[in-house]
Amino acid sequence: MAATTTTSDASLIAITTSDGILMHVERPVAERSILIKNLLEDLGGEAPAEAIPIPNVNEAVMKKVVEWCGHHRNDPAASQDDDSDSRKKSTDIDEWDQKFMQVDQEMLFEIILAANYLDIKALLDVGCKTVANMIKGKSPDEIRKTFNIQNDFTPEEEEQIRRENEWAEDR
Amino acid sequence: MERPSFTDLPTEILEAIFLNLDPHSLISVSKTTKRVKQLTADAPLVWRHLCRTQFTTWDSRHDIAAKFAGPLSDVDWRAIYISKTNIERNTRKLLNHIVATQHERIRCVNEIADYGYDAKETLLKEFACPDDAEDVLARRYYANAVLERIHREIAIKVWKDLHSGKDVPIERALGAYDVFARVGEDVDIDVVSDDITQLANGLLEGHPSFRDWSPRTKASTLASYLRGQGYNGVPDTSYRALRNSFIGLVLRSPTHESLPLISVAIYCAVARRVGLDARPCGFLFHVYTLIYAPKNYNLDGEYKPTSFSELDYMYLDPFRSSTEVRQGDLQRVLRNMGVPSGEHRSFLSDTNTREMVLRTARNVMNSVQTIRDTEVGMSGIQASWLNSYPDMDNAFYATIWAMLLLGPADDASDLGATTIRRRQYLPYLLEHFQTHFPWDVTLLSRYIIPMFHNQFEGHRLSQFVQSMHQVDAMPKSVVNRSEYTNKVVFRVGQLFQHKRYGYEGVVTGWDVACDAGEDWIQNMDVDKLPNGRNQAFYHVLVCDKSVRYVAAENIQPVNPKTRPSEAIMKLAGRHFKRWDDEQHLFISNVRDEYPRD
Repeated sequence: MAATTTTSDASLIAITTSDGILMHVERPVAERSILIKNLLEDLGGEAPAEAIPIPNVNEAVMKKVVEWCGHHRNDPAASQDDDSDSRKKSTDIDEWDQKFMQVDQEMLFEIILAANYLDIKALLDVGCKTVANMIKGKSPDEIRKTFNIQNDFTPEEEEQIRRENEWAEDR
Repeated sequence: MERPSFTDLPTEILEAIFLNLDPHSLISVSKTTKRVKQLTADAPLVWRHLCRTQFTTWDSRHDIAAKFAGPLSDVDWRAIYISKTNIERNTRKLLNHIVATQHERIRCVNEIADYGYDAKETLLKEFACPDDAEDVLARRYYANAVLERIHREIAIKVWKDLHSGKDVPIERALGAYDVFARVGEDVDIDVVSDDITQLANGLLEGHPSFRDWSPRTKASTLASYLRGQGYNGVPDTSYRALRNSFIGLVLRSPTHESLPLISVAIYCAVARRVGLDARPCGFLFHVYTLIYAPKNYNLDGEYKPTSFSELDYMYLDPFRSSTEVRQGDLQRVLRNMGVPSGEHRSFLSDTNTREMVLRTARNVMNSVQTIRDTEVGMSGIQASWLNSYPDMDNAFYATIWAMLLLGPADDASDLGATTIRRRQYLPYLLEHFQTHFPWDVTLLSRYIIPMFHNQFEGHRLSQFVQSMHQVDAMPKSVVNRSEYTNKVVFRVGQLFQHKRYGYEGVVTGWDVACDAGEDWIQNMDVDKLPNGRNQAFYHVLVCDKSVRYVAAENIQPVNPKTRPSEAIMKLAGRHFKRWDDEQHLFISNVRDEYPRD
């Protein structure tokens, strides 16, 4: 059997998570994170001698993030000038991502925070859309219940809000 | 570590989440907590985002492009969003009223029309209602009718600006014909302007040092560039096609076929954007371009002090080629055509945008006439309007308006002549709008009546307008069926063929006996019909867009397998909700007048 030289070993990047776990990630997968990509570029393409510390993300979350990056390793890079204000609203999430995001709420928020910290725009987008879909079509009460948030308006303020929104009521 | 909750998310992430929400959900979420309200209902960014993503057509009064480009805090985006939402809602409500009853139709059409382009997207959506909508024909017909009414006023305003001496770029003045005669998402004067800008940008990208060149080099480079982009005039075989006179269509068509006038207009418009002084030259049966050197320079860019009025110039014929046309050749053509040399100057000097608009009006009329002449060659009454694009009646109507608004120069010394020349277009205008667009009555009061201020016509038109509004404000008087109407065999909605003339038509109303004036009865020889004037008479809509009054004996119902033609289907919405295959009948939308039909 001919020896096939795989570059995978050579291109494994070591990272340590906030809970001190050492993980090895293929370089193209790790580079979905702009934070890691820039760091590696600063090292001039050399594999770092030591593991990269990721102090804001724990192992459980990092595993999810790596799983997502692995699935999307070949996606085209997002364009830089994607101004969030001009972005068309589109809440359709592809099927794999939808399944991927079927996690408990805390994990969802943790993934979003990790994507934000690691600068993985596409993952952050999917996370935000997933949360948006949890809000859509619900009443204020239902939203509060969903996210376990407290109503901090006084009755007077609520009356005020009602008046501010009269225009939006179906007539 | 404490696991995060919704309210722990940083502001920028919450903002990103909220930008994915529809307006309804945004308002809902804004009612949950103070912090969320701050980030949603109280955040201008959110409202600007909604304005940008929820609406596509904006009336020019908003100057929306400048607002979007400007600082966020300069604009009350929430107020704009609310006003757009209200317009959308009112437009729908008014259109439902228009579709449901004839009563106050003119008032409602004009109420929507006053929203201008703010109502356009809603009308386009209504026009795209599903094929199986209960009132599909009526809804599409009136959504389109209101949109056309909006478009016409925009075009009229452009010509009015031109008339009052404002600097209207040539592509906008001619683009007004597109806007007058066509509707659709991409039919807009700004679109014409943008297309010209794109051509100019393409030229400059291909020739980065263009602006440093001499006028002569610029002129021929621009001409070859346009030819390279496919602007090569039009072959003789389709010279008269109506579409060749519509600059917006020419810019968007794959072949860019155009009349010389339009080729020159495109040339001059692009030239203006790239710093070249090019003007149209209204020659005999042709339009050329005159290129001028800047003052004190010749066309080769050399310094050459000139007297203040004489600029160095040259001729081009962008319709045919990119090579210079010699003045001597043009003069020879004029001599050969027998034009006295004293008049050569008027054919060889540059002309203004107003003249180009009027010349386009004549070109359009010629094209329409060509279509009508072909009709004469065919037997019977045809729906040949269906084959022309833009619609030939709309195009013809556009020329009448252009002529009326721009035709006679306002010559202070000879006001009488101006009025007389204007007067001659009035009957065409009145006839056309009464038949096809009665809701244009407001355009009449806004733009025509002031022209005849303090004159007999003005007075008469005002009375006419008033009576139209009065009729509109009254519910239709009801025509019931009873034992006296037994001989009225056909119902409103009956599809038929005229026994003698063979045309296709549909019944829109009836009388138990001929109800026309005595003159008409005599003229039409009604008494010579076998059943005379005391048979039922039907108001009918015909496939050629005409409205006629037909004796019962000439109505031949079509056989039950014949479906209505495409032409009749397009016209029927004015009176009918939809075609019903089972009953083989158009379903009446004039039940307020004929409740039992």
